[in-house]
Amino acid sequence: MKQELTDLELINDILTGNTGQYALLVKRHQRFVFTLALRFAKNREDAEEIAQDCFVKAYKALGSFKQTAKFSTWLYTITYTTAMTFLRKKRLDTSSISDEETFLQLENHTSGFNANVYEQQNSHAFLNDAIKLLLPDDAAIITMFYKGEQSLEEIAEVLNMEANTIKVKLYRARQRLKEKLQFLLKDEVKELL
Amino acid sequence: MNLIEQQLWDYIDGILTDAEKKDVESQIASDKDIRKQYEDLLLINSTLNGLDMDAPSMSFTRNVMERIELEPAPVVLKTKVDTRIIYGITSFFVLSIFAIVSYVISTTNLTMPNFSLNFSLNFNIENYITPTALYLFIGFDLIMALIFIDYFLRRKLNTKE
Repeated sequence: MKQELTDLELINDILTGNTGQYALLVKRHQRFVFTLALRFAKNREDAEEIAQDCFVKAYKALGSFKQTAKFSTWLYTITYTTAMTFLRKKRLDTSSISDEETFLQLENHTSGFNANVYEQQNSHAFLNDAIKLLLPDDAAIITMFYKGEQSLEEIAEVLNMEANTIKVKLYRARQRLKEKLQFLLKDEVKELL
Repeated sequence: MNLIEQQLWDYIDGILTDAEKKDVESQIASDKDIRKQYEDLLLINSTLNGLDMDAPSMSFTRNVMERIELEPAPVVLKTKVDTRIIYGITSFFVLSIFAIVSYVISTTNLTMPNFSLNFSLNFNIENYITPTALYLFIGFDLIMALIFIDYFLRRKLNTKE
């Protein structure tokens, strides 16, 4: 059975002229990059645009990638900055949203809450809905920690913060997620969790 | 921030030291409320681990490849230099300097000529610049160099990790 090439092997291949191999890198990371972009953009069209821009930027800068670090960490840094630039362009300064405002947003969001629809969904759908209600940074931290296989230090590098700050943010994000799940599902949260 | 909850999360994430781990384990074993809290957090953690990732459109990879088709192929920006060559050159110069200094020290008569300066201070420099003082100075420099090399190598090792 043919062994799958690692990210670094693929990058070296691309840097020696075999640019077609980049499609394999894109396929390997597209779901995570898209999910991360979706944490900021909140709609699929924008997230897809961000994710595409991110891969194009990564391709152009591939020559400057220091191969001592993980490619995924480097790629997520590009995703984060691309998403931030995109949001700035759309004049959505998400980082300034206070907890109070988020609560209001949550209230508005849940006003159209249809319990019957939620009952039909599985626990992952509930969780994804709860994540959508988090602040973008918190949602990104949760996603990178649980699905991106990134350590606290690597997430800190992506978001340009201290590892301790990320640890505190992760703790708070989990707290908020728990609260939002409880809010969404009321008594059902106990069964879900 | 709830300290015990933070400790439980750290325990679940596996970022505690052995001593802290044992402490948390004993708390879980002895306190019913903490055990319940731990079980709740474990369930949240396993739910989060099973989080689904969204998939982009089917044409995503093709779209990206079409966009990069017009871009110039990426190349390594700087020529890769074998670090062993750099260390070799460095070692050569360090050893050369060390050999020259050693030769000079071993063949020099370390005595100071009498100065004809008439300082009013009662300070005789000959008493201080002695072979022992020079060896101490060189020894100190060597220790500093070793500390610096140790710091440099540790930093490099940490970066690699």
